[in-house]
Amino acid sequence: MSDARAHFDEAAGALVAGGAWHAESAVALPALHGKAVRVLDGAGITALDTNGAWLLLDAAGVHDGAALPELRAFTPQHRALMELVARHADRTGVLPPPRREGVIELTGRGAVAMGGHVAGLLDFVGRLTFELASLVGRPGQWRWREFGAQVRDVFVGAIPIVIGMMFLLGVVFAYLLGDQAVRYGANIFVVDGLLLAMLREVSPVIVAVLVAGRTGAAITAQIGTMKVNEEIDAIATLGLSPLAVLVIPRIVALLIALPMLVFIGDIAGMAGGMLVAKEQLDLSYRMFSDRMLDVIKLKTLLVGLGKAPVFAVFIAMIACRMGMTVSRDARSVGEHTTSTVVQSLVAIIILNAAFAVAFVRLGI
Amino acid sequence: MADAVIDVREVSTTLGGHAIHRGLSLSVARGEVVALIGGSGTGKSVLMREIIGFLRPQSGHIALFGQPVWDATPEQMNALRRRFGVLFQDGALFSSLSVEDNVAAPLFEHTALPRATCRRLARLKLALAGLPADVARKRPSELSGGMRKRVALARALALDPELLFLDEPTSGLDPISARAFDRLIRLLADSLGLTVFLITHDLDTLFSIIDRVIVLSAGHVLGSGTVDELKHIDDPWLRDYFAARSSGREPAHGN
Repeated sequence: MSDARAHFDEAAGALVAGGAWHAESAVALPALHGKAVRVLDGAGITALDTNGAWLLLDAAGVHDGAALPELRAFTPQHRALMELVARHADRTGVLPPPRREGVIELTGRGAVAMGGHVAGLLDFVGRLTFELASLVGRPGQWRWREFGAQVRDVFVGAIPIVIGMMFLLGVVFAYLLGDQAVRYGANIFVVDGLLLAMLREVSPVIVAVLVAGRTGAAITAQIGTMKVNEEIDAIATLGLSPLAVLVIPRIVALLIALPMLVFIGDIAGMAGGMLVAKEQLDLSYRMFSDRMLDVIKLKTLLVGLGKAPVFAVFIAMIACRMGMTVSRDARSVGEHTTSTVVQSLVAIIILNAAFAVAFVRLGI
Repeated sequence: MADAVIDVREVSTTLGGHAIHRGLSLSVARGEVVALIGGSGTGKSVLMREIIGFLRPQSGHIALFGQPVWDATPEQMNALRRRFGVLFQDGALFSSLSVEDNVAAPLFEHTALPRATCRRLARLKLALAGLPADVARKRPSELSGGMRKRVALARALALDPELLFLDEPTSGLDPISARAFDRLIRLLADSLGLTVFLITHDLDTLFSIIDRVIVLSAGHVLGSGTVDELKHIDDPWLRDYFAARSSGREPAHGN
């Protein structure tokens, strides 16, 4: 696409260029094999821009601190452009690529970052506790409007997906359990198994995972973007505490919303099971619900619901802290949002395992 | 005008029920440094977005280098985009790339040059934009506002465009950096033969580096000419605009 041409005149040590010289003209440069260019001849050049000028000068080795070759037969404008580029060409040498860090260095850096992360989390929890305590002293400072908006977003917005997901999980669980139970004629015990699994493990964990992905990520992205726009600083300038305005309403909203969502998930899961039981196991809705009310223990329900607030506090704290520590660029918002979801999922799994062990030890 | 780089004819724009431009026409000749001024809400930035092909006007004709912008095929538009550079108001640097890669990005995308060569050319542009050598490997977030603008200018110049659009190039800069930036734009315009179309509120810019000023008011061009010529136009906004300056001091170096 370029009509640039150039050849090297060995006798005169001259690089003779012609045509239009711009960034695409590099292909027209002849191989010089280290021969010194003493003269640049621009008589045939019809158009020249800084990229083209630099390519010619670079071929003449100007960036290495070599003296400017004689510029022969350039038009006054082209000569001025060549001289302008030559004045700034000393910085365009080949730089070594940025040093890559070795395994040891990366490990060290990772360890330091992890230490800072844990310290930062402790600091955050401390400041949050302080803020919460001062809020108890001054209940007038409680931000009802923000809190209401958060409950609406976190709770009402999540109901359809929670119902849909738990209903389908109930269908799958009941189907698989029923497939086994029907061989032993133990159809009715599917209700027992499903109830225990749904209320105690599946619903709390799955709903918490959903909320971590849905609300946790949203909280981090929102607070992070506010940080980038200096809105957090603006809140502090108004004499308000960003923790009290942004973080605490979100934590409390999640604390209230998650158990309610888990309860809705319990019902949806059992409803899914009921549907399968009728189709596959010939258990009428009436038989299913009678059996369910016979075997349900308040303890089972409370164990499941009791885990939810703990999950909620961890999700909300991780999400808010990751949002508050975003640095001022777009990539950081993405990284921190990802990190929120990963940390929340890990926290949910670890907490759930800890609960399971603790409940067995306590005989619950 | 035979050699009009920008040609805008009878453009009308309505945004959200408000008529922004009512049959607006203007043209910019090759090699001119032209400033577009006007009160807030007169559609300066909207006009620039229409000229660079981001926002379609309701009616009218816009051409760059004789090529109609709004009838161009995507290929023609891409070819056209290589011929102009844009400096956005806040620089709009890619925060995930180093300064050097920001400037080299148009070269990476639009030329077949090796990446190392693109980076070396990027450093040439950074030098031309008057930036010190050590910024090349930094991230945009580590730079001051004035430096970010210079990096953005270097990026706008990466493909050696013939035409440069600048949206409020000196806003957010201190007076010293702003004047230095003005001088840089003029120097580059003169030495590279650029046509420059800039939106500004900065009277010092108008008085120091501009060949011609175009005033937008009530949806059309109120006047066009040098600063001295515009002072004779009887318009309340324009009077107040220049009064804001002359009450302080006289232009130190008019055209």
